[in-house]
Parts: sequence; C-alpha cells; structure tokens
Amino acid sequence: MASILETRSLVKVYHADGVETPALRGVDLAVDAGEFVSIMGPSGCGKSTLLYLLGLLATPTEGTVRIDGRDVGILSDGERTRLRRRHIGYIFQRFNLLATLSAEENVALPLRLRGDRSGGAPREMLGAVGLEKKRRRRPNQLSVGEQQRVAIARALVTRPTVLLADEPTGNLDSEASDRVMDLVGRLHRDTGQAIVLITHNRQVADRADRLIRMHDGRFVDT
Amino acid sequence: MLPLANILARPLRTTVSVLAVGVGVALFLVLVGLTSMLDEIARRTTQVEAHLMVWPASDQVVVSGGLPAEKVEKDLEAVPGVEHAIPVLRWPFKMAGRVQNVYGIRPEDWQYFALDDQILEGRPLEGGAEMVIDARLAAAGGYRVGQTVERWGHAFRIVGIAKEGVAGRVFMPIDTVGEALQQTGRRASFFYVRVTDPASVAPVREAIRERGLNVFTLEEFYDVLASSFVDMDLVIGSVVFVAGFVCFLVILLTVYTMVIERTREIGILKGIGASRAQVFGLVLAEAGLIAGAGIVAGFLLTWGGKALILHLQPLWTVEIPPVRYLLAALLAAGGTLLGAAQPAARAARQDPVESLRYE
Repeated sequence: MASILETRSLVKVYHADGVETPALRGVDLAVDAGEFVSIMGPSGCGKSTLLYLLGLLATPTEGTVRIDGRDVGILSDGERTRLRRRHIGYIFQRFNLLATLSAEENVALPLRLRGDRSGGAPREMLGAVGLEKKRRRRPNQLSVGEQQRVAIARALVTRPTVLLADEPTGNLDSEASDRVMDLVGRLHRDTGQAIVLITHNRQVADRADRLIRMHDGRFVDT
Repeated sequence: MLPLANILARPLRTTVSVLAVGVGVALFLVLVGLTSMLDEIARRTTQVEAHLMVWPASDQVVVSGGLPAEKVEKDLEAVPGVEHAIPVLRWPFKMAGRVQNVYGIRPEDWQYFALDDQILEGRPLEGGAEMVIDARLAAAGGYRVGQTVERWGHAFRIVGIAKEGVAGRVFMPIDTVGEALQQTGRRASFFYVRVTDPASVAPVREAIRERGLNVFTLEEFYDVLASSFVDMDLVIGSVVFVAGFVCFLVILLTVYTMVIERTREIGILKGIGASRAQVFGLVLAEAGLIAGAGIVAGFLLTWGGKALILHLQPLWTVEIPPVRYLLAALLAAGGTLLGAAQPAARAARQDPVESLRYE
C-alpha cells in the first residue's frame, strides 16, 4: 500500500536569540493510507514539532515531507495551504476552539475557509460525535470532553486524508479520555483516514495499529 | 461570521472604537459645515440686484459710515454706463442676543434687495421708525410683525418679515438710521451700483476707480469677504486634521491589540487551513465593521450636533451637502482600513507554530 504520509531524514532546528535548539535529528516515517500510528515520548522529544511539520505548519531545516506522493518542500505558501486544507485534519493540544463561535460554527470553519458551502456537514459531524443538540453552544458552555469532541468534529468535517492529533486526551480525565478514543477509533473505522497521534499515555497509544517511541528528536523504537 | 462575532465579544472596546470613528466623522462634517456660515454671510451680502459695490478709498474692506450719500450718488450716476447708485448705511444693531448689521436703505431701493414676493409677512419699508427683518432672525428672536424693538433710544416697529437670503437680516430707512446715530446729512457706508449694460461692468468699474473710490464686482467682493475668513478655515482645517489623526491612532491601537490578543486564534485559523490572505482579510473585515458602525454613529452625531448648534445659535449656519457625507464616509473607511492594515499584515505573517504556543 502506498504511503500517504512520508518523511525522510527530517531535521528541525529552532533558532532563537542566537541559540540553536535541535528538535528533530533525522526522522524517517512512512504512514500508509488508513493506518493508525501513535508516537510516544517524553516532553521535549520533538513529537509536537514532528506533527507541525507533517501538518505543514512549519518547514523542516533538512529532509523531506511527502503527502500523497507530493514533496511539500517545493510548494509555494498558497499550494501548501491548499494541500493542508484538502488532506490534513488537525486536533490541537488544548482543543483550540474559537471562543466567539458556537460549536457548529467552529466545525464549519474549515469548510468556509476553503470556500465550501458548509450545508449540513457540520451538524452531521456534530451528530457523529454526539453533540448535535449542543451545536449552538459556545465552547465555554461545554465540558472539557465535549470541547474535545467538537475539535475532533472540526478536524474531520473536511474528510481529510490524514488526521493529526496532538495529545487529544491530554486535558481529559480517564473516563473522558476513553470516550474520546472510542470515538476516534469508530470514526477511523468509518472514514478510513490515516491517523498520526502523539501522546504520553500508553493506554491511548496502544489503541493504534503501530506504536513508535521517540526520544531526543529521533525514533528509538518503531 | 467570525469578524462580527469577534467585535461583539468585546463590546466596550468595540464601542470605544466606533465612537472614535464617529466623533472623527462628526467633527469633520460639523466643523467644515460651520465654515459655510462665513460663506453664507458673503453670499447674502452679494445677493443684490446690482453689479458693483463702491466703498470709500481704504486698504481694507471695513464697515464705515463716512460717504456723503447724495453727493456720491450724483457723482456715480454721472459715470457713463451707470443706471443707478444705491446708498447703504450699515451699522451694528443688537437683536436676538447677537450683533447684526442693520442695512439703512431708501425704501424705494428695497426692490433691489428683495422683490416684493420675498416679503413673507407684513410689508416693505415706507419710512419712519420701522424695520424689516428676515425670517431667520424673526424665528431666532421670536419677533413678530407689529412688535417694537428699542435701541439707540428709539422704538422701531417691525413692519415686515422677509425671506432669508436678502443682503442683511435687518433693514431700516437710511434716514432713520442716520437720525438715530445723530448724523448730519444722509451718509452711506457704501453703494451698490447697477449698470445699464452688464457687458460694460469693467469700463464702468475703471471709471469709478479713477474717481478715487474702491470698486468691486459682486463676485470680487464675495471672494474678498470669503478670503478674509481664511484664518478660521485654517484653524478648522487643523482641528479636523488632528481629530482624524487621533481616530486613526485609536483604530491602529485597537486593531493591534486585537491581533496580539488573538495570536493563538490566528495560529488555529492557519492550522485549520486559513491562508495569509484570509487572515489579513478577517482582520480588515473586523476593522471594516467598526468603520461602518462608526460612520453611522458619526452621521447620527452630526445630525445631533447640528441640531444642538442651531438650537443654541439659531443664526449660525451649518451647511452639509450630501456629497460631503459621502466624502466623510470614504475618509473614515479609508482611515480605519489604513490604521488596520499594519496589524492585519502582522497577523497574516505570524508563524502558526509560534502562535499556537503563545500563552
């Protein structure tokens, strides 16, 4: 099966006030279409940085990232944005819903940004995560677990090829965490997109098809 | 959706920003409108059925009461091309709490200042201790036909109310004014001159000038009068400029603060697919909404301000032609968007990763 997501010798070095901080030291990753991969590692090992590069939110210092066979390094800023809209769904750490919008409006946002008429898709997706009746509520009127489910709905509303999840259960208790991961698993089975999920939590990581351990900017166990 | 939601989420800041734009718009419209008061005075003075104004020889256009009216009238009417010379004795006269210029004229010359159908109530001057006032002064002071006004130790009866727009607001018989001022013989401050052929205005003017008098066409006098108020125009223009600049700075600071506050949100937007242009557009859209609301607020403040000014000073003029509202709206919108452009560009350029990490 062809890899939907691929990195080769990926290096990322941050520069700040004359200090260089290597975050990735040569990462090779291949994720097949429909595959669920989890990446575990301690804080500061480069997991989030890897996800930013996979999500085209940052550019590598060295190495390549390919999405659906396309080398994203040679793309213009506009092409990267279009590729991100079409292929990537992102669940941010801390959910990152827009506080001034309702749940439905938050879910509709990715569709609006790419110029699609949202139609019934946001409501349908909120239904899939069990929040249709709360679609008019603002984030501050939802529980932490509900906010995370809205974030999942937002990430999936565009039917992306790849879902990137940055610690999706990091702020949840164990019960809410299980519910969210059950949801992610169900949606993964229903929609079949590839998932790359980073986590500290072994129980969450074990839900994936493949577990990769990461340490100090490198994969140590794949 | 998002721009509107964002500005509604911060009602106090939005209100301040809207007011800043609104006050700027209102100041521009009202202050510039006030300059029309000066233009209105100049217009009224030159709205006479005549072609020239003749003043005593002087470096300045001043109110003076020195010309021997009958002699000068005779000299002027002896100039080839002059049809008629109309003496005017102009003097300060307080009515409705403000100093007016009373126009002392011969009753038979009323036809040159206003046709009879410009008398709205009562009759024109006939002679004696009487006056005709214009409708605006009548409304401002609550004056009525038949009422008497006591000034200079005399009682003057209002015999007519004329349509606004004649040369002055108060007319009396020239001899009545002279008598009240205890002048010897009929005096005139200046003359209006009618020529037989409008095409001969230039040579007639030269001929009068050779007699040692200051002569202006009505158009020239209008320009002289209007230009004598240029200092006030400068002051008003400066105030308007400063007001506009302050509004621009308020918007710049407001939008800059908005962008800083929403650093993380901008990272989210980029993370879920917003392009730089879309982020730029979203910030400008918020500024645009503030500009729109500010323009509406400005128009309301203008109407209220104008009404208040005219209530407090009914003889003032605040003229605001419709095209000036459009100009004010364009300036406000342009200034607001200009003030928002730099913060919007900053937002568009923000690194999404740094934005997402921003606390």
